[in-house]
Amino acid sequence: MSPRGAIEYTSVRELRGPLAIVAGVTGIGWDEYVRITLASGELRHGVVLDADRDLAVVQVLEGTAGMDPEGVRAAFAGGPLRVPVGTDWLGRVCNGRGEPLDGGPPVLGFQDAEVGGAPINPVRREPPSEPVLTGVGAVDALTTLVRGQKLPVFSVAGLPHLELAAQIAAQATAAGEAFSVVFAGMGLTHADASFVRDALEERSAAGELVLLLNTADDPVIERILTPRIALTVAEHLAFAEGRHVLVVMTDMTTYAEALREVSAARGEIPARRAYPGYLYSDLASLYERCGRIRGRPGSVTVLPVLTMPAGDITHPVPDLTGYITEGQIVLSPETHARGVYPPLDALSSLSRLMRKGAGPGRTRDDHLDVAAQLLAALARARQVRDLADLVGRSALSPTDRRYLDFDEAFLRDFADQRSDEPRDLDTALERGWRALLALPRSELSMLPVDLLDAHGAKDAPDAEAPR
Amino acid sequence: MTSRAQALDRTTDALHPVRAGLLREAHADAEALLSRAGREADALLGRARAEARALLEEARRQGEAEGADAARDLLVEARRKARSRTLAARREAYEELRREAAERVRELRATGGYASLRKRLEHRARALLGPGAEVREHADGGVVARAPGRRADLSLTALADRALDRTGAEARSLWEP
Repeated sequence: MSPRGAIEYTSVRELRGPLAIVAGVTGIGWDEYVRITLASGELRHGVVLDADRDLAVVQVLEGTAGMDPEGVRAAFAGGPLRVPVGTDWLGRVCNGRGEPLDGGPPVLGFQDAEVGGAPINPVRREPPSEPVLTGVGAVDALTTLVRGQKLPVFSVAGLPHLELAAQIAAQATAAGEAFSVVFAGMGLTHADASFVRDALEERSAAGELVLLLNTADDPVIERILTPRIALTVAEHLAFAEGRHVLVVMTDMTTYAEALREVSAARGEIPARRAYPGYLYSDLASLYERCGRIRGRPGSVTVLPVLTMPAGDITHPVPDLTGYITEGQIVLSPETHARGVYPPLDALSSLSRLMRKGAGPGRTRDDHLDVAAQLLAALARARQVRDLADLVGRSALSPTDRRYLDFDEAFLRDFADQRSDEPRDLDTALERGWRALLALPRSELSMLPVDLLDAHGAKDAPDAEAPR
Repeated sequence: MTSRAQALDRTTDALHPVRAGLLREAHADAEALLSRAGREADALLGRARAEARALLEEARRQGEAEGADAARDLLVEARRKARSRTLAARREAYEELRREAAERVRELRATGGYASLRKRLEHRARALLGPGAEVREHADGGVVARAPGRRADLSLTALADRALDRTGAEARSLWEP
């Protein structure tokens, strides 16, 4: 037994909001984990926000309501929070600090690990390869997620990003290899938390899911721990148990807001929009925990979801996230308004590592060609739509009108999908082909001739005939 | 025959082809109208039948989908119940283990080795809080030491609790083979 854990400090000078100021302490460091016992015997937990000489400011995770400074005893753990790791987490539903919400015993493990973790040594990193198929056609076909990649979803308030995150968490697979999902919900409303539980029930029951739910009314410091616990659990499942693990973290904007609140409580100098100056390195310390390690099986893939306040992509959170991650999936209010789910803005979305996880030998031989042709056609269709707004549809050339047909087929047939419908990549690509065949063959210059023949692409007889 | 009547007959004869023509045309028109009406009625009937079939089909599909949804909801609900019962049973077993351990460790007080154990705990308490610490016997056995602003709980139950926390996953053997 370490002397640190055995000594309890009893002199609580002040309780203010969620903070307890403990006096007479020695050798206490920032972020140390604290067990607080009340006079009634009730147990609470805290984290050291600030330590100065013999004073420690502790944020009490469960709040200080009903605490009498007289009977409070605080035991400092001597280090940041550690959590047990192992397969016991699979199938469990816990709160943001890893305590069970599902009525079960505490999560037990033969080992424990510090939640702060350590990013993977760059020299030992194995470059990402092989796809994680999400079962969402538009994402798999156009912005393929690769094992070991970090690919954020950029959304705005009011769009179904939580639905998409839950759908991906419920459906994602890694070509039959051992696969698990860790879902970290941060600052969720109770309605959202219960939606997530329902949506992921099946996967949870199958023992493939770890669900951490931090609700909006939970303490902010817990929100800072939640993604770290999720990643710590995921790292062990991946690199010790050999599973491919997808970590879905939503919503990173509320995480950053929690970070801002804690930073303000610590009296740090605020930077852009009052976020702490270390927001970039803090986000990197989470995102960079994904990857694959040379010589070890398994991978950690990270899918953070963030909402851009007022749709502003230059807001610090999406801005800094974009610097660190490898692409982005952007959701669009316009597509959402046209009644399409998922409302993917395909032209703004990009998976930088797609070429490492898709194409011959990985997904389907024609995957990359079809994706490129779909995006090229979509870009032209957007120009045509703008032109049609100016001159009217009837003034367009027949080919341009075919582009409008393609645009409609792309949205209605290819992109649109039910939120409970898993769509395999073959179906998604076939639907992509179907949309492309709305165009004359001469427009499909990015696809090889033999594939065009195989799919029966025809040149329209009226291709450019005047009407 | 008067000349007036003759004139009338001539007119009638002269108009005969016109009348016949008009009649023929009227018949043809009527027939065309009739056949168009018939075709339209058939088409309408056909459309109505197709619509009815589509409606029926849609209703059947919707019914099946709703049925499947309901079945899935039931399955999810049943799984959730089963899972929560399993977890509740595990929790009960785990808490029972903690209760039992605390009970057993309290029984140490009645054993011969307790005096030396208590002495060792007292020694440990003074090592933690300094020689000036006030050390008292805990009601459940073991000691609790106090110094200004600090406290060390070395009661037997607290020690048992900490020991159990450290055993971690071994407790899983309660519900795992």
